[in-house]
Amino acid sequence: MWKESSVVATMASLQRPDFMPYQNNGGTVVAIGGEDYCIVSATTRLGLGFAIPTRNVCRYSILNNRVVLATAGMFADTATLHKVIKARVKIYEEQQDKPFGLHSAAQLLSNTLYYRRFFPYYTFNVLGGLDEDGQGFVYGFDAIGSGEKVKVVCNGTGQALIQPILDNQVEKKQQYENKQITKLSLQEAVDLIKDVFTSAGERDIYTGDAIDICIITKEKGVLVETFQLKQD
Amino acid sequence: MFLTRSEYDRGVNTFSPEGRLFQVEYAMEAIKLGSTAVGIQTAEGVVLAVEKRLSSPLLEPNSVEKLVEIDEHVGCAMSGLVADARTMIEHARVEAQNHRFTFDEAMPVESLTQATCDLALRFGEGVEDDEDKEEEMMSRPFGVSLLIAGVDNKGPALFYTDPSGTYIRWLAKAIGAGAEGAQSALQEAYYKSMTLKEAETLALRTLREVMEEKVESNNVEVAAVRTDTKKFVIYTEAQVKECLSRLENRDS
Repeated sequence: MWKESSVVATMASLQRPDFMPYQNNGGTVVAIGGEDYCIVSATTRLGLGFAIPTRNVCRYSILNNRVVLATAGMFADTATLHKVIKARVKIYEEQQDKPFGLHSAAQLLSNTLYYRRFFPYYTFNVLGGLDEDGQGFVYGFDAIGSGEKVKVVCNGTGQALIQPILDNQVEKKQQYENKQITKLSLQEAVDLIKDVFTSAGERDIYTGDAIDICIITKEKGVLVETFQLKQD
Repeated sequence: MFLTRSEYDRGVNTFSPEGRLFQVEYAMEAIKLGSTAVGIQTAEGVVLAVEKRLSSPLLEPNSVEKLVEIDEHVGCAMSGLVADARTMIEHARVEAQNHRFTFDEAMPVESLTQATCDLALRFGEGVEDDEDKEEEMMSRPFGVSLLIAGVDNKGPALFYTDPSGTYIRWLAKAIGAGAEGAQSALQEAYYKSMTLKEAETLALRTLREVMEEKVESNNVEVAAVRTDTKKFVIYTEAQVKECLSRLENRDS
């Protein structure tokens, strides 16, 4: 017959796997808001440790012809979050009989993330689109819904590599001479995005394979193009 | 119409063989006992005006409230059982704030009206309380009709709701005891290019035609939602006086 103390000892030595609900699949997302356009881009590599299980995943969702959401972080959470947001947008557009606005999308996303304050979606989001006046704006969010309306933002594993360059090139910050500040044209912005992702791909193992670039304009809605990065 | 009473009179969830819900129809009758309310939509905004029945000189006139705010861009006039309207308006106010919280914008007037009407046909249906237990809350339809006025991204709008939960958009609508007379008066005088001031005058003139008492600044209430400010404002007694003097000047 076991003594009580030996039962306790047996229980304590029982091994069971830790509960690990999160994994980091990497990915980088960038959004730039221009005068009459907005660009939202996301890498397509799905990383896991030193492995690359998939080279072609979709990290963005077109919410309507003015708003696009892109997400880095854990891919399962990304997929779920996008499903939730898309369903809410659909219901909104049926009930309210009008297109879902950029600021509403930001508020909805913030709320959705904060509702999981103590078991968050492991996602880092950027939201880009045209506001009521047709001007391009972007929002960047952390995993629990804190966000800001800005002109340029980068989230995900390449953030530390890309954000300072965007600040310098788009917002013209930290420039030596008082250069003439010119706003980026759509083509310049697209080229800049291709450059920063290519550079980040050299240093960040979770950034690579390709990027999807969503170009949002009032005239053409959302156009998506793919740009290849290195596959190493 | 309702002379033959039958067993179908009582149950609110039972159709009569002719396909009618008597209790809902009776509820509509209750509105015909209520004080008259008028709503007029113009390009400049929407005007609401209501009659206040002051049954005694000892009654405090400004405690009779028949015009209320739902959200800052939407207001509402009521006729019928005012107590029933409280429930609906409370529901509407929660919906409006919920929409602001979730979507960071003012709720469109039509969907706010729809949300209000969602409550109308929930009589006899259990409502879940905090402990998820079903609780019998309403046992009859609401005996009240609302005129919901507001301004949203699509411009000014005026909606009329009835106890069946139906809502219809009107350019000018009268409800309550004097509804029939008032509606034909509105139909005569309304034109689409009306200014807000002209709508105020028309609303008061219409009330004057159907009210038993003489129209005074303390026995009518006026409110408006202007298209430019998108704000619902209930007029002060001085402002109502000013509207009334305009009405009298026009007549003389």
